[in-house]
Amino acid sequence: MDPMTFASLAQIRILLLPVGSIKRPSFEKWASEIRSFENIRLGDIPADPQEDKARFMPNPLASGHIHLTYTSHPPSTSHSALSVFRPSDFPLGLIGVATCSKDDSLSDVLAHFNAARNELFPAGFTYPLATNCFVFEESDDNTQLNLGDTLPGLVVIPSMMGNKKIYVGTLLADLCSNILGEFATMVQSLETPLGNEYLNASMFPAIPHASELPKSLDSDSPMRSSLPPLPSFNSQPDLQTRSKTPTPLGLKRNSSLGPNVPPAPYRHSSLPAPAVKKRTNPIGAVSSHGRLFKFLGDLFLLAGRTMDASVWYTEAVAILKSPQDAVWYASALEGLATIPIVDAWASTQSINGLAGDKEPWADISDKLNQAISMYSRAASGNDGEVNFPILSGLYTRAVLRHSMLLYCVWSAKGWGPHAFNQMLQSGLSSSDSNSNKNMSDAALERLSSITGISRSSIAATLSQAHGPWLLHLEIRERISALEAMASLFGALGYRRKEAYILREVLGCIMDLVVCAREETGSARVIGAGLGIQGVAMVNGLNRGTVGVRENDSRIGNESVIRIVKYICRVHGIDMEAVKIVDGNAQLNAGERDAETALDETEILGVSHEPFGWPELQVGIVREAIAVAEALPDYPSVAQFSLSSLRSLHPVMSQGDQNHLYSTAARALSTAKRRGDTRAVDYWAGRPIASMEILPPPLVRLPIEKPMSVLSQRRSDVVPILTGMTDPFLYNPRKSMSGQGQSLLVQNEPFELVATLRNPFVFDLELSSLALSTSGVPIETKAIPMIVPANSFHPVTITAKPLEAGVLTIRGCIVQAPGGVPKEFVLPLSTDEEEEKRARRRSAIECEVGRSKRAGLASRPWEKAGKRLNGATSQSTQTLRFLQVKVVLEQPLLRIRRTSLTHGAVMLYNGETSTIRVTFENVSSLPIDFLRLTFDDSTIAPAQQALAEGELSVYETYETEYDLIHRPVFTWDSKRNPQQVEPGEKVVVVVNCYGKVGCISGAMHVSYSYIHRRRATLQEPQEVFHTRQLSYPVLVTVYHMLECHSMDILPYSIDTVAPILELDQHEPQSVRTRKTLLNVEDVADWCIFSIEVRNTYGVPFEVTFERTQPDAESTATTALVPPGSTTRIVIPVKKFRLLEEHISQPIPTLSDRQFVVAKSNLTTAEERSQRELFWYREQLFKFVRGRWKETGGTRYGDLSLRQQRMTQIMLETLRTETARVHMFLVQRASEDPDSEVQPVPHHNGKWKPEPNAFVYLQTLVTNLSPSPLSLVLDLSLEPIQHVVFEGVLFDIPVGLLQPGESKEVEMPVAFITAGRFDATADVRVLGQSHDRSKVGQGALRIAIDVVDM
Amino acid sequence: MSHHLFLLSPSDTPLYELTHYSSKPVQTTTSPLASNLPSWSTSAFAGTLTALSGASSATQAHHIQGGPVRMGGGKDRHVIQMIANASLDVIEEVMRKENAMYLKSVDKFNEWTVSAFITPGNMKFVLLHESRNDDGIKAFFVDVWELYVKTMLNPFHTAHTPIRSPVFDARVRASAKKYL
Repeated sequence: MDPMTFASLAQIRILLLPVGSIKRPSFEKWASEIRSFENIRLGDIPADPQEDKARFMPNPLASGHIHLTYTSHPPSTSHSALSVFRPSDFPLGLIGVATCSKDDSLSDVLAHFNAARNELFPAGFTYPLATNCFVFEESDDNTQLNLGDTLPGLVVIPSMMGNKKIYVGTLLADLCSNILGEFATMVQSLETPLGNEYLNASMFPAIPHASELPKSLDSDSPMRSSLPPLPSFNSQPDLQTRSKTPTPLGLKRNSSLGPNVPPAPYRHSSLPAPAVKKRTNPIGAVSSHGRLFKFLGDLFLLAGRTMDASVWYTEAVAILKSPQDAVWYASALEGLATIPIVDAWASTQSINGLAGDKEPWADISDKLNQAISMYSRAASGNDGEVNFPILSGLYTRAVLRHSMLLYCVWSAKGWGPHAFNQMLQSGLSSSDSNSNKNMSDAALERLSSITGISRSSIAATLSQAHGPWLLHLEIRERISALEAMASLFGALGYRRKEAYILREVLGCIMDLVVCAREETGSARVIGAGLGIQGVAMVNGLNRGTVGVRENDSRIGNESVIRIVKYICRVHGIDMEAVKIVDGNAQLNAGERDAETALDETEILGVSHEPFGWPELQVGIVREAIAVAEALPDYPSVAQFSLSSLRSLHPVMSQGDQNHLYSTAARALSTAKRRGDTRAVDYWAGRPIASMEILPPPLVRLPIEKPMSVLSQRRSDVVPILTGMTDPFLYNPRKSMSGQGQSLLVQNEPFELVATLRNPFVFDLELSSLALSTSGVPIETKAIPMIVPANSFHPVTITAKPLEAGVLTIRGCIVQAPGGVPKEFVLPLSTDEEEEKRARRRSAIECEVGRSKRAGLASRPWEKAGKRLNGATSQSTQTLRFLQVKVVLEQPLLRIRRTSLTHGAVMLYNGETSTIRVTFENVSSLPIDFLRLTFDDSTIAPAQQALAEGELSVYETYETEYDLIHRPVFTWDSKRNPQQVEPGEKVVVVVNCYGKVGCISGAMHVSYSYIHRRRATLQEPQEVFHTRQLSYPVLVTVYHMLECHSMDILPYSIDTVAPILELDQHEPQSVRTRKTLLNVEDVADWCIFSIEVRNTYGVPFEVTFERTQPDAESTATTALVPPGSTTRIVIPVKKFRLLEEHISQPIPTLSDRQFVVAKSNLTTAEERSQRELFWYREQLFKFVRGRWKETGGTRYGDLSLRQQRMTQIMLETLRTETARVHMFLVQRASEDPDSEVQPVPHHNGKWKPEPNAFVYLQTLVTNLSPSPLSLVLDLSLEPIQHVVFEGVLFDIPVGLLQPGESKEVEMPVAFITAGRFDATADVRVLGQSHDRSKVGQGALRIAIDVVDM
Repeated sequence: MSHHLFLLSPSDTPLYELTHYSSKPVQTTTSPLASNLPSWSTSAFAGTLTALSGASSATQAHHIQGGPVRMGGGKDRHVIQMIANASLDVIEEVMRKENAMYLKSVDKFNEWTVSAFITPGNMKFVLLHESRNDDGIKAFFVDVWELYVKTMLNPFHTAHTPIRSPVFDARVRASAKKYL
């Protein structure tokens, strides 16, 4: 049955049957040779000599054609009821196609052929009417076959025959001739009145058996040689096998005869089958000849005699119309409708003349419409019930015939030879529908406008065929009907409708698959002997444990899957979004590069606007998966589930997503178990959101240093003040931010955090997640993991670089369970790229929400192809990836132990203690470089204060001094070891100085292996790498001694002298102090005094020490009890600093480049400040304080740096420029040269006689390093009681060389008793009054009252 | 008798669906061929075929009294959606040639007749109905269009936003009651 050809009613059907051991390709080859004869001219048909068979033979010189069509399927048995109604549906001829080689004998071939034919067509079946077997000779040297030895019903076509085609044509013509002859025989038997009764007995009668008919007059004529072997004449018809065919009715009745029917002379008395007599005749009492005429019409149409056919059809229509035999009437109409097409084809000229104002096909169309409506109504009759399947088939085919008519005219661009050709022969080929599918809408419209047939009208016609009655159809017929509909819809460009019908086709096919599987399953259980099953039977016992696995036939699966994919595609689901790849294929370099092309939308994160009908899509996906499962094609199941998950997950419900995911997982594992090598690509979008290398722990972090820092010795630049140029000053934060490139160490594992994304509602399982790197080889392990639903999930991956060099981290290789690993690269994005992406994104977003394309054209992949903007500007620029430098293997040091308990130090202020730290080299590399740096809590605030620059010069100096000269921790690099061999332990001693305010500190050890053995002579590296080890120390500093009120006092003779006198009776301590204070020349000395307070709970012994270059060192010690203050006094020899020394500015200890003098002091003020500064510095060099725990062993320094020096103290401390000594002397006589006696004095008081002349001698000594011209001013108070000679002011002293002295003498008489003060001021000549004073002297005179 | 209304966006996504059961009796006669259908297989795929070919609704119609309970309402709904979707093929073709917004009885499939209404924004209103009621359907479509335009006045509403407004729903239902 081939419903796709319009003129199927006019085609003689010939079944091609492979016979014997013919191979498929050779059968195809010869079959196509035969198939090339689509029609045979009537003139070529050889006439049959027999008279009674000549009825359908063509007239000589007739111009028509016989049309042939070939099938390779036998008709289904359920159709046998139609054998009279529609002979064109049956194979009228049967051709066996066989090949023969040397070994075969022709009789074997014939036997095979006959056996096959008997199998296909049970005995008693009317058709085929003629048979033949073509034996094609295969090889040339086939000499064994005797060509002359012909068997009946077998034709040998020798291989050496030149033009086989002509021969085959002749053979076919012979066959047709036979068929036409048999037509006559058939008609003969029906033309009898009894035959006519048979014909009218039921709606679809069968040709009665010869046994049931009386012998005709010419029954003595020889039997047809080509008839199938009939059963013996006496046997009953095999009713059991033909049970579906309505049995002929047994009523004898005289019928009114038609014009051309010969009278039926005989009645037959012995009628079979009384069992069915009960049934009433639905047709009525009188049988008309309408059906017979229609049958004749059918046969004439087949015989190519259209004129005769049209005559008989017209007769039949006339008769069948009035007693309404709807089905036959409709069939006659169909036949009538076919005739014009056949005629038109034969004449091969263009427009048929019969059309006037109407379209030429309108008439045919009307007829068919009539037939269709009649078929559809036919079932309402009470006889209809039995015939539902047949009626539905007829109806469907009529509708398809009509649709084909319209479609052929439409697609052939009008009524013409093309259309006829198509209708007669080709039908609807698949290429045809495909070409139409690719046509644009405009082109399809053009076809419509040319022909005047709109697509919608064809579709409307075709839609009539679709309805519940399809279920009546026999399965194969149903499938072919649905297929025809689908391809017609497809050819019309109605893809949604095509998909709709295709779903039904699938339903049919899959139903067959499922049912067949159930049957074979049961059959397998019964019939043992297949593969494993047989073995199990032998073993017997363990049968239950042996899995029975059928070898599925995969034939056809692919086509089914293709249909499924097509349906899904029409509905906007890309079932190939996830590719199936061969699981054995490895990722090679070429593929890697190809895969770096990234999916734009996934990067951009722009969501596509949805296409399609979500509800339908989900339903279709479910069905697609069910189909794939039923086949079964497990990789496709997985592909479908995963593809739809990927593309539809935004609209899917949770349950669906979970279901699909588990289905996919199950299918994949099944496929794997079954040894399927195919696997699915990675599907779950783009899993990697970001990647980041975790810096190694600080202990392991290598820090890159240039080699040059080693050669440059520690310069005078003090690193602590100048900032971070020094390599060994530790600052973790700075080093992290400063170094953009992180460093890794060879052979040491590092960690990497990848953030994975799971947009689905289920936990996504990844069977492996591995790093994808290039450059240095690494050692890493792929890890399986589960990404929680709907989340971003960070994962830590550990890897180990095996060599030094640059490591590029491209991304991750991800593998889903049962899938293929896929690399996802993660390039670093540049600004340019970001910008490009942003532009692209905005372009896409701009289009979202606008519907430029509607319907199927708006499916995502269609749209993507059409977007022009920016699509071409794909950058060819290479991608950049995360890069890390891997350095050579580094040694590793650890702190084995320290001398601290709990890492804490407790100190008194100023105390120094030591910490012993033991390091151990735990690596296999030696360490040849070891440096310690320290940090403590006082450094940072001080540095900050310095950096702010708000401090005065003086404070700055103090702060800097504190930082540089009194660090909390110190370490002597020279005395401590530098080399640590592998496994060795070294002890490093760190000094610790107690400094108030320090609460914590840290030691940092930098170490490295610099001087490596080099394997090659390459240039030594410019850099080396160190590692650091930190050890935090808690510091507690007790503040126990406070110094304050520093003072420097002059020795004034009158006050001090009595104190200094030693008294043997005084206690020892007093004597010691007096001894201390006793100096030779009080003018050269001053007294340094300071108060020390003990704020702590323990008494301390405080010692102050004086070390001056020109005086012997002394020390004074005092015990300071807790809570009390002790004043400590020590004499200090005056000193004078050189002018150059003093004029230096206050130094800054750091080498900060610009020290802007912020002070706006005058030069004089500045000078005095400098003097203060320098003298103070000098003083602190001379005087040092120390303390010692009373009764303990702890000792330390006592800092004086808190103390300030005032101008007065400075004056006292500094040696005067000119020293003035004043004496009172008396002479024995007036003569100036006489002996001079000093006036008696005591305790600094001079006691001259009143009213007697004494001489006031003033000795001026120039102590300055330069010569001075000095002037002396004297004053005597009270002046009114003093008589003196000369002037008191501006007494010239003269030029004094350094160290030179000069004496000025003045006679004085005190004229009253009492106290007098004499002072002398030495001025430098020529300078202003207030600044010129360079020296001073004083004298106290006490004049006792003498008793008169 | 039931009506099924779908408002389809230009990308074939339904924005609104309505099933309206009217009290009017079904007056169409189903084809006699559709009666007495065999139940030839019980596999799931046969079910699909039965549903898609319209057989399930046909049997339902014939065995309405005392017959099997309406089986697979969801399935039928799926079929109706399939039919509506498939009819877009015809609608798209016809709308290209005709100027009218209202395309009456543009397609017929199984027992359903499809009428459509195309807005200038390429929204398609598709109505599946069983009996002819051209004027009523036209009036109904115009009503729905007005309601739709009012919904579209919302600046946050695009051509692809599903319509979830209860007011819209209630008014469409009222209109359906009035005209269908």
